[in-house]
Amino acid sequence: MYFIAGMVIMGGIWALIAKLTKGEIPAPLATWTVFKEVIQHPFQNDADQKGIGTKLLSSLGRVSIGFGLGSLIAIPIGLVMGSSKIAMRIINPMVQILKPVSPLAWFPLGLAIFQDSPKASIFMIFICCLWPTLINAAFGASNIPQDHKNVSKAFGFSKWKYLTKILLPFSLPHIVTGLRLSIGIAWMVIVAGEMLSGGIGLGNFVWEEGFNGGSVAKILVAIIIIGVVGSLLDKCFTWLQQKFSYAV
Amino acid sequence: MSNTSIIAPPEDDITATAEIILEQAANAPVSIQINNVTVSFKTPKGIYTAVKEIDLTVKKGEIVALIGHSGCGKSTLMSTISGMVKPTSGEVYANGKKVNSPGPDRGIVFQNYSLLPWLTVYKNIEVAVGAALKEVPAAERVKLVETNLRMVNLWEHKDKLPGQLSGGMKQRVAIARAFAINPKILLLDEPFGALDALTKSAMHVELLKLWNLDHREKTIVMVTHDIEEAIFLADRVVVMNNGPAATIKEIVDVPLPRPRNKKFIVHDPMYMEIHDRLLNLLIDKFSIDDEL
Repeated sequence: MYFIAGMVIMGGIWALIAKLTKGEIPAPLATWTVFKEVIQHPFQNDADQKGIGTKLLSSLGRVSIGFGLGSLIAIPIGLVMGSSKIAMRIINPMVQILKPVSPLAWFPLGLAIFQDSPKASIFMIFICCLWPTLINAAFGASNIPQDHKNVSKAFGFSKWKYLTKILLPFSLPHIVTGLRLSIGIAWMVIVAGEMLSGGIGLGNFVWEEGFNGGSVAKILVAIIIIGVVGSLLDKCFTWLQQKFSYAV
Repeated sequence: MSNTSIIAPPEDDITATAEIILEQAANAPVSIQINNVTVSFKTPKGIYTAVKEIDLTVKKGEIVALIGHSGCGKSTLMSTISGMVKPTSGEVYANGKKVNSPGPDRGIVFQNYSLLPWLTVYKNIEVAVGAALKEVPAAERVKLVETNLRMVNLWEHKDKLPGQLSGGMKQRVAIARAFAINPKILLLDEPFGALDALTKSAMHVELLKLWNLDHREKTIVMVTHDIEEAIFLADRVVVMNNGPAATIKEIVDVPLPRPRNKKFIVHDPMYMEIHDRLLNLLIDKFSIDDEL
């Protein structure tokens, strides 16, 4: 019920802004008409006419590949960093220097490496997905309570057993937190990135409508879709987080 | 002891029984030998010596309590027996071999239970048995887990996670886990410290029951703060001085016959004598009128 109340308030503010800008920002009802128009033929995939669904899937696809690759690399490195003081001392400075760089700055680099716009986008997503997952995985691995380590020592756990029965289960909730942060950032970055790179996607859609003289209503529609998908992605990982929280 | 022990038996009987007990203890083989052990740690503020020049012999099948104030190094001393800590000087021998690291011949029960929270009760024990008893065939290991869980009456809870158990139940799992690897020596580090008084009392009886089921063959060393617990369970109570660089203050024999009864033991004159002795060794102020 609070959800509906929140949505109503948001709708109210929106209608107010629409009134204040005398229609420059379309009112909710006007936008709804445009929304219905936009979601016609969502999966149309002709050469010059692509449906909104195709664009959405295109963006999601790039995010998935970048996120997947990034996570695959960030998790092991993060765990190693957390487990070994030496690894931490060597790798951490690199992370601290690269982390603050805006993901968009990696795009030209990707272009130079891959000579290919979509691949450069994926590269950009890949880089920005590394940091939250890596840092959280390292945090998890470095904070294993002495109690658990004592069990391993007292009963003579092999290194493999320690890894699979203590290190990974303990770090898992932290890794999922990192993944959740990474997917949030990735989704934001892809929209911005597509504005730079062109190619089919929601970001590109916003760019076309916003900067090439399209309708503001369509931009709002895109914003709503981006927001809803983003929050759904976040919900997936929140669900995962809850699955892996043990009462310690 | 019989039901008539509230009326104290004649003095001669008590001393006679005590003598027999002490003699039997003297003839048993040695299980743990601590030779001139000192344990020091490097800290940012310099070297901290926890225990200094400790000599102690524990016989097979003996229950020994280590008692003392907080920070007197009792846990550290016991860690040298378990192998979790290496002595800075001196040696510790357990079961005839020098102690270098933890091993399956010495089971440990930690103060904080230390159960892995993501594994069920069953799996917690299974994982420990699997790691400590690698050479034992799988079928036998399964039997060990079941037997020990049934011994502590937790078989019905075998699929629960530690978060779903009470403190007493968690400690029973920890004890079952230590027993399951069938160690010759059992090391208990304030195992009942976190439990309420009633549960604690029940656990004392549980522990002695398990020890008895094994024909009193296991040597048990227990760290505790609780004087009554120490006297009820132990054959000898080792009283430590205050740290740092703690040494053994005195070793008090507890030749009370077994099985001991919680209700009747407190009326036993020898119990009262030992209790007084330990109080004197450990406590400075007995009432608000005492001055240090």
